[in-house]
Amino acid sequence: MDTLTHIINGFAVCLQPINLWYTFLGVFLGTIVGVLPGIGPSATIALLIPVTFGMNPTSALIMMAGVFYGTKYGGSTTAILIRTPGEAASVMTTLDGYEMARKGRAGAALAVSAIGSFIAGTLGVIALTIFALPLASMALKFGPAEYFTLMLFAMTAVASLTGKSPAKGMLATILGLMIATIGIDLQSGQPRYTMGIAEFQDGVGFVVVVVGMFAVSEVLRGLVDIHGGKAAKLLPISGKLWLTKEEWKRSIGPIWRGGIIGFVIGVLPGAGGTIASILSYTTEKRLSKHPEEFGHGAIEGVAGPEAANNADTAGALVPLLTLGVPGGGSTAVLLGAFIMYGIQPGPLLFQNRPDLVWGLVDSMYIGNIMLLILNLPLIGLFVKLLLIPIGILYPLIVSIAAIGAYGINGSVLDLYLILLFGVLGYIFDKVDIPVAPLVLSLVLGGMMEQSFRQAMTISGGNPKIFFNSAITMTLVVMSIISIALPFVLPRIKAMLKSEAD
Amino acid sequence: MIADRIILAFTLVLAAVYFWATAQIPSLEIGDPLGPKAFPRLLGIGLLLTAALLAGEMWKARHEKRAPVEPGSLVHYLVVGGVAAWTWLYFLLFEPLGFIIATAVYLLVLTGYFNRGRWIPNVSTSILFPIITYLLFTKGLGVSLARGVLPF
Repeated sequence: MDTLTHIINGFAVCLQPINLWYTFLGVFLGTIVGVLPGIGPSATIALLIPVTFGMNPTSALIMMAGVFYGTKYGGSTTAILIRTPGEAASVMTTLDGYEMARKGRAGAALAVSAIGSFIAGTLGVIALTIFALPLASMALKFGPAEYFTLMLFAMTAVASLTGKSPAKGMLATILGLMIATIGIDLQSGQPRYTMGIAEFQDGVGFVVVVVGMFAVSEVLRGLVDIHGGKAAKLLPISGKLWLTKEEWKRSIGPIWRGGIIGFVIGVLPGAGGTIASILSYTTEKRLSKHPEEFGHGAIEGVAGPEAANNADTAGALVPLLTLGVPGGGSTAVLLGAFIMYGIQPGPLLFQNRPDLVWGLVDSMYIGNIMLLILNLPLIGLFVKLLLIPIGILYPLIVSIAAIGAYGINGSVLDLYLILLFGVLGYIFDKVDIPVAPLVLSLVLGGMMEQSFRQAMTISGGNPKIFFNSAITMTLVVMSIISIALPFVLPRIKAMLKSEAD
Repeated sequence: MIADRIILAFTLVLAAVYFWATAQIPSLEIGDPLGPKAFPRLLGIGLLLTAALLAGEMWKARHEKRAPVEPGSLVHYLVVGGVAAWTWLYFLLFEPLGFIIATAVYLLVLTGYFNRGRWIPNVSTSILFPIITYLLFTKGLGVSLARGVLPF
């Protein structure tokens, strides 16, 4: 009963005019950022931190969450009309969405991705509403040892699941943790790895790392493409922006299945929206009576993946809000934003600030309705954004990044750092080192070290504490499995194949 | 692949430097049995394990055919290097010249090169964007940006 009151009170919070305005601003920005290639949710949220400083945290977080789930709506538009995913997770939509547009069914493709996103997005928020509290109350029993092993699991899963090589994922994870150790050690007061630079005593801000690695590096990549003459062709919105009865019948199954796949993948650390949409696509192809249509404009191939990557965002908020441990790059940046406001997500937040938690969750119901309106009747306006020449857009992104980085402390060092991390991000991309694990471990690094040291203090320096409870044991085993999986899986597949032959 | 060998070498060098830097941290272990060095030492060990994993992956892939090098990749590096150097100059002059002038010059050159020939949109964006964002951020949102040589 108490929970229900909190949920209803959450609506009272998010329906306040000021919060409605910030929800709108968030999803509006999210749609723009989603449509525009070159800048994604992580960099946008990071850039919003200095701008929203001093704002009411609830409103600011409602807006940032709006950017996070709003980008997924916008990303499909670019995928359908110019065969470039506006967001990484829309990559599967390019396969059939663009083909539909070429056949004059762009309207239907845009409609099904907006409607599918809305249904699955709302489904995801309902699931988030239902599962959040039981998980949060379970997490109340977590001590430092449990938290340490939980973070270990999140990091190993992200390291081994993102990118092509688990070793390079590990490298990115440890680099992130190392960057997190720069600065004054809070327990002993000793400066560590500051290299004599005074600004480093407060540590390397995660905003500069995220802006550099996600925005500046993307600009460098994009400018190289322009130079190489890789210009995309924008297809017109053709056909009615609605579905025929037949198309509707073909889409509803994939939307439901995609929604469930997306939510489950979202809750688990590591996988994220891209994997959710790939899984949904392959599932639909397997279930279809006409698998040969996939890749040639099958509407199921748009409906399923789009549903999956939207439900994924709601799922990804479950571990972030209930445990305070994100399972991927964008949610790590959101956690960073929470911490900047002095708010620690986790089970205690549900007890101490139910207005904030439920105001945020409930705002997502409203935000999804706003997104449906923005992405169906108003889609034509956003498509106009694609007419901005990227030769102008990309340089502007660097200037916006400079404003964001300089705005935090007014320090030129932060500007050099976004350039440094931008170049590093470009090189990482060239040599297949994933960036998401680095960002995740950078944000979690401080907390991880703290819980490690607290746990060791409790146990009097005995590492056995990490194997004492059922929860820590399970998490340690899961961490080991997630590291071993990429090595074992190909062997098992090969074995099965040879047996089948 | 050469890139992988460089990554492996970099990982080992970084581990060595990190271990050395960790040893330099002065520690007073009062009320904190582990001190500020223990967690970094674990990270150093983790980095060595990563190097071993990397070497293992390289060993496994030793027979795989290399992907052919993209043509024109040297030009790519020149473009990236040029843009990075220009951006560095932009940041260097960010405070002395101020946000508006530095940004306008920065944008003029980049849009002039990457959006060639379309002078009207390039020049108008390069001049209007810094002025509007400056006013919006400093007057509207209270974010301080470098004023530089301009009087406002």
